[in-house]
Amino acid sequence: MTKKNISIKEAERQVYRSAFDDGLVDIFLASVVLMWALAPYLSVYMGDFWSSAIFLPIWGVLYLVLRWIRKNWIIPRAGVVEYGPVRRKRVTTFTIIMVVLNVLFLILGLVAFFMPGGPGWTKTIPFALMLLLSFSLAGYFLDVTRFYVYGLLLASGIFVGEYLYQNFGFSHHGFPVVFGFLSAVIFLTGVYKLVTFIKDNPLPSEEQLQWEAKNG
Amino acid sequence: MAEEIEKSQQEDPLADIDPLIHAPSRLRVMTYLYVVDSIDFVYLKRVTGMSWGNLSTHLTKLEQAGYIRISKSFQDKKPKTMIELTDKGRTAFRGYKDGMQEVLGNLPD
Repeated sequence: MTKKNISIKEAERQVYRSAFDDGLVDIFLASVVLMWALAPYLSVYMGDFWSSAIFLPIWGVLYLVLRWIRKNWIIPRAGVVEYGPVRRKRVTTFTIIMVVLNVLFLILGLVAFFMPGGPGWTKTIPFALMLLLSFSLAGYFLDVTRFYVYGLLLASGIFVGEYLYQNFGFSHHGFPVVFGFLSAVIFLTGVYKLVTFIKDNPLPSEEQLQWEAKNG
Repeated sequence: MAEEIEKSQQEDPLADIDPLIHAPSRLRVMTYLYVVDSIDFVYLKRVTGMSWGNLSTHLTKLEQAGYIRISKSFQDKKPKTMIELTDKGRTAFRGYKDGMQEVLGNLPD
């Protein structure tokens, strides 16, 4: 790290990007993708709405667990930073774009879902586009390169699932297999990053903390 | 005399380069502080890759020059040291950046 050339732009990116080094966001994303894998099975017993809604309390609990991990494991190792105006503006722009896009894609998705007839491919395209665009925007605005990869994997996964469904008879348009696999990939990436982060950033010793209190 | 100094400074842009910022480690610290509102000691140490002692020494120098503000508090019985650039520090860093661009920007390839 110390050998890198200093550039103001790169320094700003590095400060922000390092907030995603702990893998927690990947673990949460994996839980969302897991829903796409399991919801088709659950919908048989619970209906379309409740098969998705059942995940809300699960995400709530997971969010609290990850927050606890962040507070007790990550922040003591990583420290805290208040971002500058450039980054704050970038994050606000990203949030607004995502809200608008998601509303738009939700409408498109509903139209495609309730549209009678038409081949399966036409229904998957809006969903694939939404994933690709959302993750690419997240990768661009948040400066996290692996989000581009996630977007590409998830978007192409939809078509792979459809292919498996049409040619090999996989159930539920191949969603359980494809998204189950991708959820595991994202989850393992997150766990790997979390373990690496904790290993690379040990807790400051009592001696260091006392030293910081005196001199830091 | 004052006119001569001013004239020599105009002729020699290096004279405007702040030696306090120019040291590589302090330049690194100032660069990170320039892009954030505030940052704590642990985060700054992590992104700069400097040791506790080294970072603390440079921060002390920058604080003495009035370029940074250090505020200490305790959170969950643990020390928390927040660091931010002062207006003076931000102006000095901008001046340094412009000065270096002037010096290096005119060099041939």
